[in-house]
Amino acid sequence: MKKTSLLLLIISVLFFQCSKDSGSSSEATAVGGETGAGGSMARFAIVGNYLYTVDHQKLRVYEITNAAEPVLKNTVNIGIEIETIYPFKDKLFIGSTTAVHILSISDPVKPEKLSTAISPQVMRRCDPVVAKDNVAYATLRTNGFCGGVQSILAVYDITDVTKPISKNSINVTEPYGLGYSGNVLYVCDKFQGLMLYNITQPYQPTFIKSLRDGSYIDVICYQNTMICWVADGVLLYDITNNTNPALLAKID
Amino acid sequence: MRKLLSLLSIPLLLYSCTPESADYNGTVEGYAPVYVSSATASTISVEPARAITKAGKIYVHGTYLFENDVNKGIHIIDVSDRARPRKVAFINVPLSTEVAVKGNYLYTNNLDDLLTFDISNPTAPVLVKRIDDVFPMPNQNYPPFTGVSFECADPSKGVVVQWEPKRIKNAKCRR
Repeated sequence: MKKTSLLLLIISVLFFQCSKDSGSSSEATAVGGETGAGGSMARFAIVGNYLYTVDHQKLRVYEITNAAEPVLKNTVNIGIEIETIYPFKDKLFIGSTTAVHILSISDPVKPEKLSTAISPQVMRRCDPVVAKDNVAYATLRTNGFCGGVQSILAVYDITDVTKPISKNSINVTEPYGLGYSGNVLYVCDKFQGLMLYNITQPYQPTFIKSLRDGSYIDVICYQNTMICWVADGVLLYDITNNTNPALLAKID
Repeated sequence: MRKLLSLLSIPLLLYSCTPESADYNGTVEGYAPVYVSSATASTISVEPARAITKAGKIYVHGTYLFENDVNKGIHIIDVSDRARPRKVAFINVPLSTEVAVKGNYLYTNNLDDLLTFDISNPTAPVLVKRIDDVFPMPNQNYPPFTGVSFECADPSKGVVVQWEPKRIKNAKCRR
């Protein structure tokens, strides 16, 4: 697979952060200036005291040191058909229908474009990614206008985020969001439910079992709770034992 | 929102509208615009907790969970007792699709505007700021695909918030 397509996998349009040990989010409280956690199909992202938003062409930077009063600090032209934005370490990944733009936010008010990856034919807009340390997991979905032949769970070495290396590829049915807690990877699949993989050996995920309590779309792990966006609402699980999530409640 | 309203008053951009070859039933697979009246599009209110109609993006912060009800608003859910989550309020924000929280403030979109709510009392959020034209809206004239037939948009029906797949009869527009 070409380098650009690998890069695209890592930084494609849907980025689901789901980490038990992701710093401030796991210690968030109801007070103070802290942010929480969300899947990032979003058109905005909060990093520290800055809110980043994207419209079809522009990235805007708002300072939210005073959270009640967002102040526009900068507007940067990015490209065309921008759809999503998400932060990863000190970078912003901005996804469009045809390319992904990588910007450095070492200086938060002056995002600086580092590179642009052009989408090859096989890459579409349906590729959620989650990164853990130096490993990235992506689901490549092939139904409808996503194109492609076989849906897969793909594994990459992203020690150098600009040069991802393909490590593994596992056939799945119709995957959506994914996330992880500790050494367990959770993959939403329309037909196979929420699939659990052991990722103790990060490049060799081994299937544990599936949960089938709904039609799973996205998953966020937050402290010892797993929050699943399902087609008709939200499911809450206790993941104190991360290989055996216990259904706590359904919100509909 | 101002920009949006002015856009609506601009005549349709000229995208080729050519008759589509229909099957023997006279229908084709295509797309149709979903409208919301521009009068109600920017009316914000806080309402009692309600059922989720179309589950959307989620955001978790502290002991609260926030779920976007696609194009309708934000459910605020107290999950301090995880086995007994309790919806405490619904912020009616037409055309909202996003949600994020920092401290006691919640950010969402009212179509193309960015709204900031004070949620220090989660049962009674207060709109404290509106910033125009932060988010893009769907193209008002054609769906985001090429080589497709679609129902021609009619600006008199309101704002196009979405293009949904549909079998359409006598499709007059195509791009």
